[in-house]
Amino acid sequence: MTDTATDIKSKQASPNKGETVISIKGVKKSFGSKEVLKNINLDVKKGENVVVLGRSGTGKSVTIQCIVGLLKQDDGSLKVFGDEVAEMSDKELKQLRIKIGFLFQSGALYDSMTVRENLEFPLTRVLKITDQAEIDKRVEEALDGVGLLEAIDKLPSDLSGGMRKRAGLARTIIVNPEIILYDEPTTGLDPITSREISDLILNIQKKNKTSSIIITHDMECARITSDRLVVMNDGEYIAEGSFDELHKSKDKIVASFFKDIS
Amino acid sequence: MAEEIVIPAWKRWLEDIGDQVGFFIKFFKNIFVGGFEWSEFIRQCYEIGYRSMMLVGITSFIMGVVLILQLRPTLVAFGAASMLPKTLSVSFVRELGPVIIAIICAGKIASSIGAELGSMKVTEQLDAMEVSGANPLQYLVVTRILATTVMVPLLSVVGDAIGLFGGFLALNIRDSISFNLYFIKVIASLDFADFLPALVKTIFFGFAIGFVGCYKGFHSNKGTESVGIAANTAVVTASLWIFVIDAIAVQITSLLFYK
Repeated sequence: MTDTATDIKSKQASPNKGETVISIKGVKKSFGSKEVLKNINLDVKKGENVVVLGRSGTGKSVTIQCIVGLLKQDDGSLKVFGDEVAEMSDKELKQLRIKIGFLFQSGALYDSMTVRENLEFPLTRVLKITDQAEIDKRVEEALDGVGLLEAIDKLPSDLSGGMRKRAGLARTIIVNPEIILYDEPTTGLDPITSREISDLILNIQKKNKTSSIIITHDMECARITSDRLVVMNDGEYIAEGSFDELHKSKDKIVASFFKDIS
Repeated sequence: MAEEIVIPAWKRWLEDIGDQVGFFIKFFKNIFVGGFEWSEFIRQCYEIGYRSMMLVGITSFIMGVVLILQLRPTLVAFGAASMLPKTLSVSFVRELGPVIIAIICAGKIASSIGAELGSMKVTEQLDAMEVSGANPLQYLVVTRILATTVMVPLLSVVGDAIGLFGGFLALNIRDSISFNLYFIKVIASLDFADFLPALVKTIFFGFAIGFVGCYKGFHSNKGTESVGIAANTAVVTASLWIFVIDAIAVQITSLLFYK
């Protein structure tokens, strides 16, 4: 392996030298006898987009599920905004989750509700906003931001895959989270829609100054959205750097992600 | 290649019991935490109660008719045809009505709750609700369990009335009895001790149906197959609980009212 995480880190071109919002040190997680995360180390700075590349089943989704407390790591330290997630009470975890947006691979829209009701849900249940005019304004703004205003009263079953992802993204950003975790945001979409979603992710970062972890296999999405990339293999991060740096990597696994890119 | 750890069946069973107790405690805690989801509760009452009315009504009506047709030859042979309204009303209101209506509700409601929550789990909707900072237990579980606890007794009362009306029509196929006389005979034969324990046990039936449906759906695995399994096991487990609760209720009623 020519480009180790430390080697690349020392020469990476990441412009972010600000406050660390997510700090992962030596995190391990097993399911039964299967060790999914072996030794994960990652810092995400404020306003930074970190793309995580890796084959299916290497533990990428498990990592972000640990960040929001859906799963608890077996060992190591995982801090968000300086607080250890595993040691948080239910109330603290709820407060933290308000600051973190999570876009699921499927969009995970509540299928018994219209798009409008989906977006109203976090406003009324989480932010406890009661003013209907304020709710309507925020819902319409969020949907307009993802170009989905015309689908406001549609049910998720009436939406295409790309529309569902955009509606999910609108529901994620409507509470103005400081961190957004994207779980394969462009998987299953055509290249044009994938590009639109990638542009949206970038716009959200610029407009809202969010920090993000983006899990993807889509190299075009990685190129557009990333400030920094990390490559994961077999429960460990094996390489880290900017898109251009990793593109030049001689490591077989890293190079395999870039083989179709000229 | 890592070896798969096989957990013994007894250990899995004990873990499941522990999970159910934990779920039961969480349900009660969440009734009183934060704001109650009134709109979702009313929507569930409509879905669970109103939408089950037709099925419960038809089944109860047929039950009333069939019981009269089955009872009549035996009672006529003993010269006790006049006892038909009393026999039907006591057997229907005390035992058959509540249990059969609860079993029908287990089939319709527990399976639908199990499948709905199971599919929400598979499509990550439960996770999405949780990571958004909302409380899926409060929104999905508390409302559904309370709705079944309220609506199953109401369905049972309506089912009893329709079943007894079916009995009246069946009685008039071979005999002739006015509605007034039939009604008076039915009311006269029913006692407080027939009606109240039956109503109280349907509250427990309703709770069991909602609880089992929600538990099975909430704890299903993340695969499409598990949605079917959640729905199926919800019906089987809820039906079993209805018979267990009925057996306990009969013992308690016997001790309290029929010494």
